[in-house]
Amino acid sequence: MPASHEGSGVSGHRGPVRAPQGIAGGILLIALAALALWLTRDLDQGTLNAMGPAMLPRWLAIGVGLSGLALIAFAFIRDGEPLERWSLRGPFFVILAILAFAVTIRPFSLGSLTIPGLGVLVAGPLAIILGGYATNEARFRDLLILALSLTPFCMVLFGDLLNLPIPIFPQAMASLFPADWSQKAIMRLMAAVLVVAALVVFFTTRGSRKTAIDVADHSGRI
Amino acid sequence: MSDLLSNLSLGFSVALTLQNILLAFLGCLVGTLIGVLPGVGPIATIAMLLPITFGFDPTGALIMLAGIYYGAQYGGSTTAILVNIPGEATSVVTALDGHQMARQGRAGVALGVAAIGSFFAGTVATLVIAALGAPLTGLALLFGPTEYFSLMVMGLVFAVVLARGSILKAIAMILVGVLLSTVGLDLETGEERMTFGLPFLSDGIDFAVLAMGIFGIAEIMRNLDHTEHRDVVRQSIGRLLPNKDDFKQAYKPAIRGTIIGAILGILPGNGAVLGPFASYTLEKKLAKDPRRFGRGAIEGVAGPESANNAGAQTSFIPLLTLGIPPNAVMALMVGAMTIHGIIPGPQVMTKNPNLFWGMIASMWVGNLMLLIINLPLVGMWVRLLKVPYRLLFPAILMFCCIGIYSINSLPTDVMFIALFGLVGYTLMKFGFEPAPMLLGFVLGKLMEENLRRALIISRGSLETFIERPVSAGLLAVSAILLVIALLPSIRKGRDEVFTE
Repeated sequence: MPASHEGSGVSGHRGPVRAPQGIAGGILLIALAALALWLTRDLDQGTLNAMGPAMLPRWLAIGVGLSGLALIAFAFIRDGEPLERWSLRGPFFVILAILAFAVTIRPFSLGSLTIPGLGVLVAGPLAIILGGYATNEARFRDLLILALSLTPFCMVLFGDLLNLPIPIFPQAMASLFPADWSQKAIMRLMAAVLVVAALVVFFTTRGSRKTAIDVADHSGRI
Repeated sequence: MSDLLSNLSLGFSVALTLQNILLAFLGCLVGTLIGVLPGVGPIATIAMLLPITFGFDPTGALIMLAGIYYGAQYGGSTTAILVNIPGEATSVVTALDGHQMARQGRAGVALGVAAIGSFFAGTVATLVIAALGAPLTGLALLFGPTEYFSLMVMGLVFAVVLARGSILKAIAMILVGVLLSTVGLDLETGEERMTFGLPFLSDGIDFAVLAMGIFGIAEIMRNLDHTEHRDVVRQSIGRLLPNKDDFKQAYKPAIRGTIIGAILGILPGNGAVLGPFASYTLEKKLAKDPRRFGRGAIEGVAGPESANNAGAQTSFIPLLTLGIPPNAVMALMVGAMTIHGIIPGPQVMTKNPNLFWGMIASMWVGNLMLLIINLPLVGMWVRLLKVPYRLLFPAILMFCCIGIYSINSLPTDVMFIALFGLVGYTLMKFGFEPAPMLLGFVLGKLMEENLRRALIISRGSLETFIERPVSAGLLAVSAILLVIALLPSIRKGRDEVFTE
């Protein structure tokens, strides 16, 4: 990852700020406190005898804010950690993957945009493949195989064995099958299809990049 | 004494039914399977696997969950020994000497000693829980809201003192945690607090969602920041069972570790975390040649691992007797219990003796399972550890999504794990530890409830907290602890314990 090792050293310039991480953390806390105070502005605080809904949140927010101020103050007095380098790629793709899962797992509408519920069948592979790109070592082929083999596993585990109420496949697909097929039969068939697809991808693209396939390399170092 | 025996035999008659044995076995197996994955600690494991217990009766579900917990805990130690990546704070110590042993070709012995030590500790801890359960429950019935509030304050102070790094940051995190717990409908007036007008927030933030975001997703983001350097042992695992010499060296540390761990585990505020550290420090002090530590000393595995397991188990005591979850894992247990319609607290033992004693007996069964499952399966765990992270984390990500979705069937829950993941990542980048925040969140609701009740009873006078003797005592202990932790000399010592 591009997240470098520079962050671990002592930063070069010497300003009045001796602990940049403390400043950043302090600002974060103060912002949080301000948000909480703003959100509870209309609520009644009540008295100690009959506490209102805002009493505790307000005092806690004040406490958080004071901690933030103290952190900032200490940042000028005591030496502390420098800020670490951030990488955006990781969080970006991880969040993207989770959001993709959330909006496709069941019908979702936001304003004029409507996404039909697609179930684990679509949401699962989407999460795996999008999420996989969070590292720059991502290889599409490996992720595809992973997605095609893990998804049927989850379908059978959660939908069939554990009977959890999680949508497995798009409802529209059910009409493609004979009417007397049960949900579970359709699900099992789809799982089987995915497994076959995974095997097909695995074997057909095998020769092209021999070195990339070895998932568990035996040198012990990865 | 005869009470204890009859209670235990009731427990075993519940735990030893075929279904419950099977559930304990399954729980341990799946828990280890997920817990072994590097970067997945017990909290994320349990949050992920919570839904698979929904289909069973409450007793079975809790037995399975407890199994998952021990499995995850033990899986973390396996990873620590074989890869030098501690899954969570408590296995940090195991990694020190355990991994060195593995490098010397003694991975098998390290794993074996860890398993046997854990089993011994588990057996003792089970007896401790069974013995203390009834009297502590009686004590709990004497507690009013005032005492409960003070007890929880003490728990939070413990968490501050035990957190690594800056005390100020730990305090801030606890406050943020309690603040987060106040989101949602106000208990008495029914007014919405800090919900942004969003309907799904009116019930408050779901604990599983918060825990999964902070310990599952944020952890993935953080791991992605570091170029992967996984040091899976290349040496052979070697024999698993310790020989006579190993045993001679290991049994005393294991006994001492068990005692330390069991005592610390009872404390509210995640005392269990301290167990392995304390045991390691003690063994190092007692050793004739302290230089061996850090270079593969078997005592450095046996002691902390026993302490770890003993603490993991006795931390059930505050939950089962007082209804106060002492750490995040126990908070997830509360979540699981409430889903099955059981409100944890002193009344569980009287109203549901089957569940209470069955669960306690199943702890011992679970520990036995671990011993049976893990030793023969070590080869499989090694294989699993060799899967590169670039393939592991997308899988973990999907399991997290499916797991959290199945709890409430809400896509918004899934979105929130992304949000909390980002929050957790940001906090870690700014040097905050998320664990105290989670504890603050866990205790927050209970604290507010009890604070309000206490103040209503005392007609708004805060003096009630120091007028009532038990409450005053608890608060005094908290104050003393906090002051001690802030003393410069002690702080140095505390930092040393954690950096070792």
